[in-house]
Amino acid sequence: MKKEATLKMNEGSAMRVRKDIPLKILLFVLFTLLCGIILVPFYAIALASFKPGEELIRYGLNLKFDLSVMSFDNYAYLFTGDHSYFVWFFNSLLLTVVQVALTLIVSATVAYGFSAYEFKGKNFLFICVLLIMMVPFEILLLPLYTLIFNLKLMNTYSAIILPGIASAATIFFFRQYLSGIPKEIIAAGRVDGASEYGIYLRLILPIMKPSFAAMAILNGMNSWNNFLWPFMVLSDERKYTLPIGLKTLLTPYGNNYDLLIVGSFFSIVPIFILFVAFQKYFIDGMTAGAVKG
Amino acid sequence: MIKRFLYSQKVAPYVFVLPFILVFLIFWVYPLGSSFTMSFQKLSLGQEAEWVGLENYTKLLGDTIFLKAVMNSAVYMLCTLLILIPLPMLLAVLINNKFMWGREFFKSSLFFPALTSVVVAGTIFRLMFGEMDGSLINSFLGLFGIEPVKFLKGQVTGFIALLALATWRWLGVNILYFLSGLKSIPDDYYEAASIDGASAWQKFRMITMPLLKPTTIYVLTISIYAGLAMFIESLMIWNGNNSPKNIGLTIVGYLYRQGIEKSNLGYAAAVGIVLLVLAMTINMIQLAFSGLFKKED
Amino acid sequence: MMKKGFIVLTLCALLLVMAGCGNSSSNASSGEKSVIDAGAGEGATELSYWTFVELHGKHFEKMLEKWNKENADRQIKLNVTVMPYDDMHNKLSIALQTGTGAPDIADIELGKFPDFLKGTPQLEPLNDAIDPYRDTIVKSRIDIYTKDGQNYGIPTHVGASVAFYNTEILEEAGVDYTKIETWDDFKKAGQQVYEKTGKYMGTADTSAPWEESMLLAQQGSDYTDADGKPQVNSPEMVKALTMLKDLQDSNVIATIAGGQPDTEEAYGEYNSGNYATAFMPLWMMSRYTNYMPDLAGKIAIAPIPVFEKGMPRSVGGGGTGTVVTKTAKDVQLAKDFLAFAKLSEDANIEIWNTLGFDPVNMKVWDMKEVTHNPENEFVKYFKNNPFDVLQEIREEIKFVKSVPASPTINNVFGTVTLNEIFEDGKDIKQALDDAQAQIEQELQ
Repeated sequence: MKKEATLKMNEGSAMRVRKDIPLKILLFVLFTLLCGIILVPFYAIALASFKPGEELIRYGLNLKFDLSVMSFDNYAYLFTGDHSYFVWFFNSLLLTVVQVALTLIVSATVAYGFSAYEFKGKNFLFICVLLIMMVPFEILLLPLYTLIFNLKLMNTYSAIILPGIASAATIFFFRQYLSGIPKEIIAAGRVDGASEYGIYLRLILPIMKPSFAAMAILNGMNSWNNFLWPFMVLSDERKYTLPIGLKTLLTPYGNNYDLLIVGSFFSIVPIFILFVAFQKYFIDGMTAGAVKG
Repeated sequence: MIKRFLYSQKVAPYVFVLPFILVFLIFWVYPLGSSFTMSFQKLSLGQEAEWVGLENYTKLLGDTIFLKAVMNSAVYMLCTLLILIPLPMLLAVLINNKFMWGREFFKSSLFFPALTSVVVAGTIFRLMFGEMDGSLINSFLGLFGIEPVKFLKGQVTGFIALLALATWRWLGVNILYFLSGLKSIPDDYYEAASIDGASAWQKFRMITMPLLKPTTIYVLTISIYAGLAMFIESLMIWNGNNSPKNIGLTIVGYLYRQGIEKSNLGYAAAVGIVLLVLAMTINMIQLAFSGLFKKED
Repeated sequence: MMKKGFIVLTLCALLLVMAGCGNSSSNASSGEKSVIDAGAGEGATELSYWTFVELHGKHFEKMLEKWNKENADRQIKLNVTVMPYDDMHNKLSIALQTGTGAPDIADIELGKFPDFLKGTPQLEPLNDAIDPYRDTIVKSRIDIYTKDGQNYGIPTHVGASVAFYNTEILEEAGVDYTKIETWDDFKKAGQQVYEKTGKYMGTADTSAPWEESMLLAQQGSDYTDADGKPQVNSPEMVKALTMLKDLQDSNVIATIAGGQPDTEEAYGEYNSGNYATAFMPLWMMSRYTNYMPDLAGKIAIAPIPVFEKGMPRSVGGGGTGTVVTKTAKDVQLAKDFLAFAKLSEDANIEIWNTLGFDPVNMKVWDMKEVTHNPENEFVKYFKNNPFDVLQEIREEIKFVKSVPASPTINNVFGTVTLNEIFEDGKDIKQALDDAQAQIEQELQ
C-alpha cells in the first residue's frame, strides 16, 4: 500500500519504470501464492480422481503424485459403469435450464411492472421484495415442506422451481437495469398504438437482453449447486440432482468413493467451461447486486 | 370487455407484478405465518396440532444444545465477518492497483471456488482435514514437525476447517464486490490527495474506505445472513448433522434436527422464529449504526 | 451472437419443460439401473425397497430369483434405492408420517427402530408372515422389533459380538490371542504390543457405544431399567468406562479416525495395520472382505474378553429390521416375499453366503457344509472359522433392550459422552451424570 502511494506521487516516467518492477514482482508473487493455495483443493481432487477410492480412505486426500496407484479406472467406471450418475447429471441440467429460463422470464416481467408504472401499492410491494431478500430461506423449510406436501407436489420439480420463480434478487437487479432505459420508448410505443404487453414484449425485452446474461449465470450457478431444498422434497433416486446424488454416495456401506471423487470432480467441469467462456458475464452477474449497495 | 379491462394502463402493472404477489403470498407470507403459528403448537406431520402457548419458547431457553447451536452460529458469523470483509477489501485494493500483472487471471482464479457446490467443496475439505497423518493438512503440518491434529473432533480446530471452507468459497466473490465498488471511485480523488501530500494509508482511510461503504454494508448484510443461516457446510464437513459434542451444530442444523430428524415441527418452528428475530435485529442494528456514521462523515 | 444464443437457450428451456412434463407422468421404467427384475415376466409387480446397505440389495437380488422361479403367478420386480444411513431414516420417517412417497419395503436400523414404533406405527404387522418360521429363529431378534405383541420388523442376523484380532501384529509382539480371556489379559497383551510395535491393541470408540453394550451385558446390566427408563450412570457403566479409560491411559487402546471401527476412516486405519483389534458384531466380517483386502488371511476371530471368567462373552449388536409400510402397493405380497427372503432356510444360508452375517436360524450354524464351505469368501478370508467361535459362545449371547429412549441414548453417547471421556479426559462419573441429565431432558 505504501509503495503504491509513493509511486503515484512520482510522475517522472523513467523513475516509474525502474521502481515499478520490484513492486510488480512482489504483487505478482503474492497473488500467485494466494491462487496457488486457492487452487490446491482442486488439484487434490483432480489427483484423487485418478486413484482408487480405497487409497483415499486409507491415506486421506493428499497431494502425493504416485503413478503406481493412478489409473483411468475411475473415469472408465464413470462413463461405462452401472450407476445413475448421468441420470443425475441430466436432471441437474434440465432443472437448471428450466428454472433459470422461468425465473428470468417471470422476474423480468415483474421488474418491468415495477419500473415502468406508477400504481397504488407499488412502494409497499417493492418493500416486500426487499424484505424477502432479508429473510433466511431456511426458516421456511418446514412450513414450506408441509405446504408442498398439502399441494401434492412432493417429489416433483415444480416443488423446487415454484417457490423461487419470482426471485427477489433478480427482480431487484432487473429493476435497477430498467431504470436506466428512457421512458420515451414506452411513450413512443403507446403513440404507435401498441398495447401495454406489446410494448413490453416487442420493445423492452429486446433491450433487456444484455442483463439476462448476467442473471442467467447467477441463477444458473445457484440452481446447479442447490442442495437443501431439493434434497428435502425429492425422494425418488431417478429424480435426484447431482449434489443430492453425490451426497448419497457418502456412505460407509457402499464403497462408492471411486465414483464420488471422480463424479465430484466431473461436476465442476461443465461450470468451469461455462465460466471460461462467459467470464465477463459471471463477474458482472456476481457484482450486479452490490453496485448500488 | 375483459380484454379492455386487462389492457388498460391502470390494470396492466398489476398483471405484470401479479406473479410476484402470488409467490409472495403463497410461498412467503403463508409459510411465515404458519411458522409463527406452529411455534405455539406441539405438532408432528400428519397428526393433530396441540396448542401449547409459549411452552416451546420457554423450553428453548433451557435447552443447552440449542444455546450451543446459537453460540456456534454467532461465533461462525463473527469470524466470517472478521475474515471475509477486511481481507477481500485489502486484496481488491491491491488487485485494482495499476501495477498489477495478470489482473483478470487472478480475479477469475480467486473466484473459481464459488462455482463448486457445497456438497463437493465440503467433501473435499472434510477429506483434507482428516485426522490421519497422511491427509493433506496433517501432512503439511508434518513438514514442520507438528503432530497430526484431529481437526474435526475439537471445537477450535473444527471451526478452523469450517472457516477455511468459507474463506475458500467466498474470498473471490467478496473481492469482486469490492472491486466493483472501487470502480466507482474517481481517480481524481487520489490525485488530489497526492498533491496534498497524503500518504497511502491516509488515502486508504480517507478516500477508499468511506467511498467503499455502500459495498461494505452490502457485503456485511449478506454475510450476517449467510453466517447465521449456515448449515450445509457443517453437514458436509462432519458428514452428518451429528458432530462430536455438537461442535458443528448450527441454528439451522438444530431446526433440521428437531423438525426433520425428530419431527417436532412446533419446536423446530420456534427455533426458526428465533433465528428470524436474531437475524433481523442484528441487521437492523447494523444498518442503523452504519446510517449514523454516514451522517457524521 | 448473444441474441441467437439467448433464443436457443429459451427454446431449449421450453422444449425441456415440455419433455419434463411428458416424462414425469410416464417414466416408470426410465431408471432401469436400480431395478432388479431377476427373471420376472411381464405381469410382475414392482416393489420399491429402501436400504442404507448396498449389500442388502444384493441379497434380495439372489432371493428374488428363487422367488420368481417358485412363484410364477406372483412375480416381483424390486426397485432398490440405497441412501446414506441418516438420510434414509429421515426420509422414511417423513414419508411414513405424511403418508406419501414411502417405499413398499424398507430397512430400519435397530438404533432408529423405536422412533418408528412411536404412536401408531405406520408399518404392517408381520406376525402371520413370521409364524411359519417362528420356531426356527432366535426369539430375541424378533422381540426387538415388536410393540404390543405385533412384530413389525424381520431381523437379518444375530449380530453376536466377537473380537477380530490382527494376528500379524500380535505375532510380531509375541502375543497369543487364544490366551486372552479377561480384560486383565487383554491389557497385558496390549502393553506388550505397544512396547514391541508401537501400535495400539484396540480402539476407544467415541461415535458409537458398541463396547459399552458388550461390557454392560457381561455384568448383566443395561442402558435402561425394567421400565425402559434410562440409567446410563449406573455403577456397571462407570465400571465399564473406567476399565476402558484405564486401557486408554496404558496405551492399550486409542481413539480411531471415524470414531469407531465401522467407518470408512477406520477401515483405512485397520487396513494399514495401525490397530490390532476390533470388538464388533460378527457382521463386521463383510467390512473386512470389502474394504480391507490387505488383511486377508491375517484376521482371527475370538470371544471377547470378560471382567471375570464365566461372564457371558457376547452381546447381539446392531441389526436391521426390514419392514413393510402401510402404504405398500401389495402388502401381502411384500410380507410373503420378505419372510421368504429373510427367514426361510435358503434365505438364512444365503445371508451367510452373500452377507457374511450370523443367520437368525441357528440350525444353519450346525450345517457344516454351509458354514465350512471352503469356497466361501469369508471362510477364505479369515484365519479361523467364525462358526467355531459362534458355537463356543452360542449360549452366552445376551441382548440389550431396545426401548423408546434408546435412540436418544445412542445419540448422546455417540456425539457427546464418549468424546468427552476419551478425547477430553472428562471425569467419567461426571460425564455420565451429565449424559443422564441430558437424556432425561431430551426425552421430556
